[in-house]
Amino acid sequence: MIWKGDVLVSNGEGGVYNERMLGGARVWDPYRSKLAALYYVGTGIELTAEMRVLYLGAANGTTVSHVADYTEAVYAVEFAPRPMQDLLEVARRRRMIVPIMADASRPELYAPLVESVDLLYQDVAQPDQAAIAIRNCMFLKAGGHLILMLKTRSVDVRKDPGEVFRDTLDALTAAGMPIKESTWLVPYHSDHAAIVCTKPARVR
Amino acid sequence: MQSYWFGDIDAGTCTPFFGDPRTITDRVSTITTSTDTFVPLQWELAVQCGVCRDRAEYLSKLREICFAAAECEIRGIYAGKDAELLQMVRMLDEMDTVINLLSERATDWHQIRHPTFSRKHHKTPAHILVRNMSEKSRGALGRVANQIESLSATRTDLAKEVSGRANQVMPNTSALIGGLVAARLLSQAGGLEQLSRLPASAIQVIGARTALFAHLRSHTPSPKHGIIFQHRRVHNAPRPVRGRVARVLAGKLAIAAKIDLYRGVAAPEFIASAQEHIDAAVKGNEVKK
Repeated sequence: MIWKGDVLVSNGEGGVYNERMLGGARVWDPYRSKLAALYYVGTGIELTAEMRVLYLGAANGTTVSHVADYTEAVYAVEFAPRPMQDLLEVARRRRMIVPIMADASRPELYAPLVESVDLLYQDVAQPDQAAIAIRNCMFLKAGGHLILMLKTRSVDVRKDPGEVFRDTLDALTAAGMPIKESTWLVPYHSDHAAIVCTKPARVR
Repeated sequence: MQSYWFGDIDAGTCTPFFGDPRTITDRVSTITTSTDTFVPLQWELAVQCGVCRDRAEYLSKLREICFAAAECEIRGIYAGKDAELLQMVRMLDEMDTVINLLSERATDWHQIRHPTFSRKHHKTPAHILVRNMSEKSRGALGRVANQIESLSATRTDLAKEVSGRANQVMPNTSALIGGLVAARLLSQAGGLEQLSRLPASAIQVIGARTALFAHLRSHTPSPKHGIIFQHRRVHNAPRPVRGRVARVLAGKLAIAAKIDLYRGVAAPEFIASAQEHIDAAVKGNEVKK
């Protein structure tokens, strides 16, 4: 990851969402992007120039644009039409983004479009976040990584966030995705956790 | 056999598929992928298929298809009759908030100019007060009050349009609860399709978010009604049966929304029987089959 002093940045064309520039690089704000927050509070996965990424819950393309600055190709999946309009605009200017309008919980519908990837990044506000991640692991190469942004409040508002967190860790481990790192994203995002898994070689 | 956007791969041989983005999208939507036997695609296969020469061309072709598909889908969603109604009713509710805030602020200003003025014990409605201010106040306050008045007029027109549009888009729901409240239900649900998928129990408490979450979290009494309280039959019902009226009404609304989505026209016999059930609930007895 590229740091200028203690500021996380990415190299690419600026002006996507009025982000601050620092010495010609785009500042990646941890308060706006959960992935940036992960790099601030934890380790995360080093994004590299040959990486192919499947990004679920691409929303307005803010974080997607930064990921695309680092990687070779980003398959950005988003379901809602309004954010999709913004995502398309971002993708028009970044040739490595493939925007896919589809429901992340039904990977079989976009399977003919997505190649096998090195990183699966998921940030969807759905109750069954773990199940969606597990279903999409079929696109992940052996040795590839999963970064799951867990919105505990979207899973179940009645449950204690800590309990949702533990349940999700158990679900992922049980599905054959050993946990590499798990952390809360305080102080940048409350009730949000990041979970990093690595797909073991030769599973299924 | 594995089917990908650029063709089918069967036992190492590729049958490429050529066409414009539209026909490729149509083909992709017909492919049924079984997640058990799925093999993620390798882009090199597309080169072997003769669909593209290199990585750059692969990505650019794929992007072209995905853009076309997404644009087509967005257009389809926005062309739905409910899409604009949704924005109209949200604008209406936002205007209400803004008009109230501005009126309150203008009144505060007016009070400074008139030290003896008080609204206590005077039942002057806010809009009359604003009209007085626009007629009698000098300078900026008068102009502001003027603007608030014209904003209110626009709001009234918009409300009529919302209710008229709701009668077209959701005739059955509107017949039961009125166009305006029907449109608000639609706005909260996020669309006609989403509303028609909601269970009656959810429709009953749409818009009672705070009360509902307080109930789920800390076991306060459950909310009896949300937006549907705005309908006269709910808020005019005697307290003891109000919850029951809300429940029966919500039940009928859930059916009405489904008829609106799938039939799109008014179903007079359904509306009549639903009204009968709701009226019976207001009177305190339910119709027995």
